[in-house]
Amino acid sequence: MRQIRIALWVVVAIALVGLAILMTRALADRSTISERIGAATFGGPFTLTGADGQPFSSSKLAGKPHAVFFGFTHCPDVCPTTLARLVRLREQLGEDEQPFEILFISVDPERDGPAEVRKYSELFDSPVIGLTGSPAQIDQVKRQFGIYSQKVPDGSGGYSVDHTASVLLFDGQGDFVATLSPEEQDRVALDKLRRITA
Amino acid sequence: MKFAVKAFPLAVLALASCSPDGPPELRLSDAWARETVSGQTATAAYLTIENRGESADRLVAVTAPAPARASLHMTRRDQGIARMRPIEGGLEIPPGETVTLEPGGAHIMVQGLAEPLRSGETLRLTLRFTRTGERALAVPVQTAGATGPARNGH
Repeated sequence: MRQIRIALWVVVAIALVGLAILMTRALADRSTISERIGAATFGGPFTLTGADGQPFSSSKLAGKPHAVFFGFTHCPDVCPTTLARLVRLREQLGEDEQPFEILFISVDPERDGPAEVRKYSELFDSPVIGLTGSPAQIDQVKRQFGIYSQKVPDGSGGYSVDHTASVLLFDGQGDFVATLSPEEQDRVALDKLRRITA
Repeated sequence: MKFAVKAFPLAVLALASCSPDGPPELRLSDAWARETVSGQTATAAYLTIENRGESADRLVAVTAPAPARASLHMTRRDQGIARMRPIEGGLEIPPGETVTLEPGGAHIMVQGLAEPLRSGETLRLTLRFTRTGERALAVPVQTAGATGPARNGH
């Protein structure tokens, strides 16, 4: 009996030590996760066309945290809802004038030219950087940002576009930090936004 | 004879209210639509439909003032991808329940707008239900930043 008890206590001790090691590693890892993810997955330099019809280079975003959303101007529900939400969240942060840029990149370059994205960006009463480009440029950026989109005919000659609707957050160094999804509460979204604006 | 004539409608009403299969009773409220900018030809309208009756109804069609067209759509998200699809067969409104069309879910898509919709205007739609028939709906247009219908006093 006594030997069993000792053995059990040894197992407990090993488990506690193992747990302590895992927790220490997890805490140490947190600070490097964003660098590792940034290097491995989303972002990178790009050139698209701005709402003014001129080339827009991602170098213009240097030093500025930014939230990127891909959508299309013929989208009646998800896109205006998401952009309006980003504007509202930015107002709630309010530490300084424009803590992060909001980018709207069209996944429908055939219908969304510079004039369309410019007017759409002006819907929101707050600066939104609208971007479009040639189909090849948009495809390239979609690949870099891990974005899916697919045209879906609507049966009456038009089409809708299925698309990744998460918002990607990047810090001032241009590294990917987190995504926002609409199911999250504002409180969670604001915490994530503070990670790029801090 | 006179008594029978007077009593007859009351009897019918009494019988109708005792029936287990009363009609649907729909109450439409909190309608709103999002404004658009010039060149933007589509928007969404939302509302709340309450069925206080005893049987289900189904919203099967919506019409908008020409040249615009309206149709029922549902936004679905799976693994971060948003997909918008027509609601086949219409939207069921079960008895005793409230169905809300709201951002990120079921909505009325209005396409082919010839002119922008401005906040403060009213968009007039007609909703067609299988049992209740047609109901006119005056939809206030809100700003792009709105997340719901205007509250009283706004």
